[in-house]
Amino acid sequence: MKAKVWLVKCWAILACALTFGTIFFLFAYIFGKGASAITWEFLTESPKGMIIGTEGGILPAIVGSAWYTGIACLFGAVLGICTAIYQVYYCRSQRTAERIALVMKCMAGVPSIVMGLFGYTLLVLTLGWGKCILAGGITQGVMILPFIEVRAEKALREVEGDLVHASYALGVSRAYTLRRIVLPRCLPQIVSGVILGACYAMGAAAPLIFTGAVIISKVPEDVMKPAMALPYHLYMLLTQGVSPENAYGTAFVMMMIVLVTNSLATWFTWRKKV
Amino acid sequence: MRKLEDRIVHAVMGLFCLVTVLLLAFLIYFIFRESLPAIREVGLKGLLLGNSWRPLIYSDAPSFGMRNMILSTLYVSALAVLFALVIGVGCALFLACCASGRQRALVMPYIDLLASIPSVIYGFIGLYIVVKFFEKLGRATGESVLAGGIVLSVMILPYMISSCCDTMVQIYERFRLPSRAMGVSRWYMASQLVLPASTRGILISMALATGRAMGETMAVMMVMGNAIGVPKLLGKGETISALIAMEMGIAEVGSTHYSALYTAGLVLMVMLFAINIVFERLKKKLAKEGKA
Repeated sequence: MKAKVWLVKCWAILACALTFGTIFFLFAYIFGKGASAITWEFLTESPKGMIIGTEGGILPAIVGSAWYTGIACLFGAVLGICTAIYQVYYCRSQRTAERIALVMKCMAGVPSIVMGLFGYTLLVLTLGWGKCILAGGITQGVMILPFIEVRAEKALREVEGDLVHASYALGVSRAYTLRRIVLPRCLPQIVSGVILGACYAMGAAAPLIFTGAVIISKVPEDVMKPAMALPYHLYMLLTQGVSPENAYGTAFVMMMIVLVTNSLATWFTWRKKV
Repeated sequence: MRKLEDRIVHAVMGLFCLVTVLLLAFLIYFIFRESLPAIREVGLKGLLLGNSWRPLIYSDAPSFGMRNMILSTLYVSALAVLFALVIGVGCALFLACCASGRQRALVMPYIDLLASIPSVIYGFIGLYIVVKFFEKLGRATGESVLAGGIVLSVMILPYMISSCCDTMVQIYERFRLPSRAMGVSRWYMASQLVLPASTRGILISMALATGRAMGETMAVMMVMGNAIGVPKLLGKGETISALIAMEMGIAEVGSTHYSALYTAGLVLMVMLFAINIVFERLKKKLAKEGKA
C-alpha cells in the first residue's frame, strides 16, 4: 500500500513538472531562435528572393491575418453573443435552450478542415466569391462561433439571479435589464472570450487553405481578393524548406500574438474578480 | 416605447440564434450533398474498406479506398490520448491535491496557453525537434505515426488537464475535512480516494481529447510524412484531415476525386460523433453503478 501511494506521488509530481517544462520549453525555443530574425525590415517588407520567402519580410501575411481575424471575430462574436443572450434570457422553454446547447456542442466538434470544406463549397463555389478574404474570414468565424458562444453563455449565467429578478419585479423590461444590469457585469468575460477566439482564428490554417490563403500576394486592400496569412505562410516556408530563419521569425511573431492576446484575456477576467 | 424596444431586441436575438442553428444545418447539408456522387459511384463499402487510394485520372482505374487513412487517424489519436492520459491525469492530480485554489487560479492560464498555440507552430517544433530526434536515433526518416502521436499529445494535454482537474478538485474538497479528521495523509487520499473516484471525469476528458485529436490537421500533416500505406508505429501515415488538406487543391471541382474528399470529411465527422456517443453511454453506465 505504501509503495503504491509513493508511486502515485512520484507520478503526479513528474507529470506536473513535465507539463510545465514543456510549456516553458515551447516558448523559450521559439523566442530564443526567432529573436535574431526580427528586424524592422522583416516586419515591414514583402517576401522576396529567388524562391519566395528566402529574403524580405512578412508584412502582407501580418496584414492578411489581421483581416481574416477581424472578419472572423465580427461574424463569430455577433452571432455567438446574440445566441448566448437568446439562450439565457429570451428563450422560454428549457428544451429549446438544451437544443441550442446541443447545436453548439455539435458545431464545436466539427473539425477545422471540414469547416474549410464547407466554406469552399458554399462561399467559394456556390456563391461564386472565389478564394477571398471574406470567404476565409467567414469560414473562420463559423469555426470560432461556438467557442465564443460557450464562454458568453457561461458569463451570462454567472450574473446573480437576484439582481435580474429584482429588476423584472420593478417592471423594468428585459432589454433594459440586459443593457444596464447584465451586460456591464459580464462584459469583461465576454470580451476575453472574443479575444481568445481571435487568437484561435489567427492561428488556424486549415480553414484557410481552400478559402482564402495564397502563397504570395500584395498587402491586401480588397476583401474580395485572396491574401496571405501567417500560419499558412509558416507552413509554406517549412514544407518547401526554403528559409529556416524566416520560419523562426514568423513563428516568433505568432507566439508573440498568442502571448499578448492570452495575457489580455486573463487580465480582463481577473480584473473583475479583484 | 419600452415594450417595443423589448420586442425588437427579442426578435433580433431570436433571428441571430436561428441563423446560428441554420449554419450547422447548412454545414451538414453541403458536406453531405457534395459527397453523394462518390458514394453513389464507388459505394460506401469501397470507400470505407478499400485499401488503395489512386485518385488520378491517368491511372487506368482510379480507386478511392480510404481504409488506411481511417486507420492512421485512429492510430495516431489513440497514441496521443494514451500519452496525454498518463501525463494529464498525473498533472491534474497534483494540481487538485497539492495546490490551493489561489495557486491553481494562478497556474491554469499557463496551461490554457498551451491550447492557444497554433497547430502550425506545433508542427514546426515537432518537425525540428521530435522528427530530428528520431533521425538522430538512426531512423532513415523521423516522420512517423509515433512522432505524430507525441506532438498531438501535447496539443490535447490542456483539455485533458483542465477537465480532469475540475472533477478532482470537487472530489478532493468533498472529502478533505473527513479525511483530515481521520488523520489520512494527503497522498494516501489522492491515490486511494480521489483517483478511483474520478474515473468518470477522466472518461469525459478522454472523449473531449479524442475529438480534438482526430480533427487536428496541420501539425499532424507536418510530422507524419503523408504516405498512403498501412500505418505502422515507426512508419509514415496519412490521416483523413491531412488527405483532405493535401489533395483538395489538385482535385477538379465536380469530379469523383473532389466528391471522395468530401466523403472523407463526412466520415471524419461521423467518427467523431460515434466516439462521443460511445463515451456518453459509458458515462451513463458508470453513473448508474454509482461512481460519481
